[in-house]
Amino acid sequence: MSVSSEKNVQKSFTLPKSDFDQFFTLLAQMGTVYAAVKVSEQSFAFRAVTSAKQIAFDAIRTILPPKKFFYPPSETLITYDKDGIYENEPELEFKVIFGVHPCDLAGLGIMDKIFSSGHADSHYMRQREASFVIGHSCMPDKHCFCQSMGSDCAKSGYDIFLTDIDSDYFIEALTPAGDQFIALAQPILAGATDKDHERNHHFWETRSAAFTNGFNSSNLKVTMEGEWDNKLWDELGERCLSCGSCTPVCPTCYCFDLVDIASLNNDSGSRKREWDSCQFTGFAKVNGDFNFRPTPVDRLKFWYRHKLHGFDDAYADKTCVGCGRCTVSCPSGIDDIVAVVKALQVSSAAKTSEGADA
Amino acid sequence: MSVAKVLPTISVEGLTGCAGELLVILENLDHLLPYVRIKSFPFAQSRNEDGPVDITFVEGSVSQNHDLEKLTKIRANSRWLVAVGNCATTGCLQKASCQQCSAKSMMQAVYGNDSTMSVLPAQPLEHYVKVDVSLPGCPINATQFLAVTASLLREQLPYITSKPVCLECKMKENPCVLIEKNAPCLGPITAAGCGALCPSVGAACYGCWGVCDEPQIEAMKIILTEKGYDVDEVYSRLKAFGAPEHLFERMNKKAN
Repeated sequence: MSVSSEKNVQKSFTLPKSDFDQFFTLLAQMGTVYAAVKVSEQSFAFRAVTSAKQIAFDAIRTILPPKKFFYPPSETLITYDKDGIYENEPELEFKVIFGVHPCDLAGLGIMDKIFSSGHADSHYMRQREASFVIGHSCMPDKHCFCQSMGSDCAKSGYDIFLTDIDSDYFIEALTPAGDQFIALAQPILAGATDKDHERNHHFWETRSAAFTNGFNSSNLKVTMEGEWDNKLWDELGERCLSCGSCTPVCPTCYCFDLVDIASLNNDSGSRKREWDSCQFTGFAKVNGDFNFRPTPVDRLKFWYRHKLHGFDDAYADKTCVGCGRCTVSCPSGIDDIVAVVKALQVSSAAKTSEGADA
Repeated sequence: MSVAKVLPTISVEGLTGCAGELLVILENLDHLLPYVRIKSFPFAQSRNEDGPVDITFVEGSVSQNHDLEKLTKIRANSRWLVAVGNCATTGCLQKASCQQCSAKSMMQAVYGNDSTMSVLPAQPLEHYVKVDVSLPGCPINATQFLAVTASLLREQLPYITSKPVCLECKMKENPCVLIEKNAPCLGPITAAGCGALCPSVGAACYGCWGVCDEPQIEAMKIILTEKGYDVDEVYSRLKAFGAPEHLFERMNKKAN
């Protein structure tokens, strides 16, 4: 399947890669452009860029997912003084986020649903609205398993999407903002020909066949329920540092801590929200020093459950998008989701066959 | 005629330490001055008063008899006693050194045989007196110091989290030095507050803030051993910055 399989619905275009600098100039006219840049031997991060040359087009995954733009690591929600409480609404910088891969677009879709459901989170929503998202195709590495999680094809979350078809980009617009931009960029774009559609189709077919990592996810929820007491969790727990590295890097982890910061003059202050992690021992600790999840095993299982089974939040479904960030960010190597799922499935299958024999 | 506002009083005192926290406090005194009266701060001013005080910040470990006398007096006079820095909260390097060799031989080596100094085995403040708030750091973080002061001025005990340094690293989107450089980074078991200072410049965290809440020291041992590090080296680093002894008992028990 490809993002362009319904080519009649969307208008499609091509851009020669040699003209990308001009395309970038148009993007930069909308706002600050953020794209993946290389920050170390092995890592990339979304950073503000002023030229196309700075962009690491081959980046597979960034340290933090693009959620950081809309749900920043730390932000002031309200301020207060003797006269009242004020919503903190800082002036927004319009952000053009270039090069968001399908897994991250799926992650944004989940975050959008969670932050917009019920009493919508105005801080997230206004940041999200002040953005233009440019999706970008990618080829999987050995840690990518978005295919198993059904998030390998971008269906939403972007304004325009670029597929790398060798010497050109195949470009599709999804939103009115995307259409507007395409209209603006018209002079440097060409209408996609049947041949271009074929090339696009070919890319996505090749990509689908390129995955080397993954599992059959049809029975994931049942497996997670049935294998809740599997001894594998204890083995993983022994290695777990409870360092919380897995959650900030996850495109769909949204837990936070609220901190009130009193001013020294005792008559005003502010309330800040900061990323928290369910892996920290204090996360589920309540009054009387009681902890609902006292050990690393409890906490690790809880996180795995949210990712592979889901719980009663607005999304109510598994929230892993298969980006592989936790796998590469875990110092203990225990967040190899694919290996864990496969091991649980083997155990689950063994139980089923025992049941059939009996 | 205007009536002078009675400001809360603070004192800043040092026991045996490097005066690092005293410097941090001095550097940030401007923020405090409109709201408090400095009753005593021998490091910074020459005219100091005795007697009751609202908040006393104490740096350093109790390593000499006069430290203990001073601390006892401070406790009796202070409404809130805040231990600032790792020497005051854990004993830090001084305590760790005392555990490694005798105080007597150290004294002889440094001061010779004729010294009249009387030493005690270095201990954190809470070994002797009740401490209301412990603010770790080597040195302390200025923002945390001001936050603690603000809380106490409004009659609230401050909330100081001890989440690991890894959180601050991720919030700053630092590449992980433990993973990418195989550096012996103690970030996963060290309390945050420094803003992940060392990993932010590509160096391993050496645990100077003391351990985080419930450090997973057994797992840390497994991971560092797998990377080829000598666990004794990790012990000594952790001990230097005041990791409690019972952690190591737990770690050794697991290994046997």
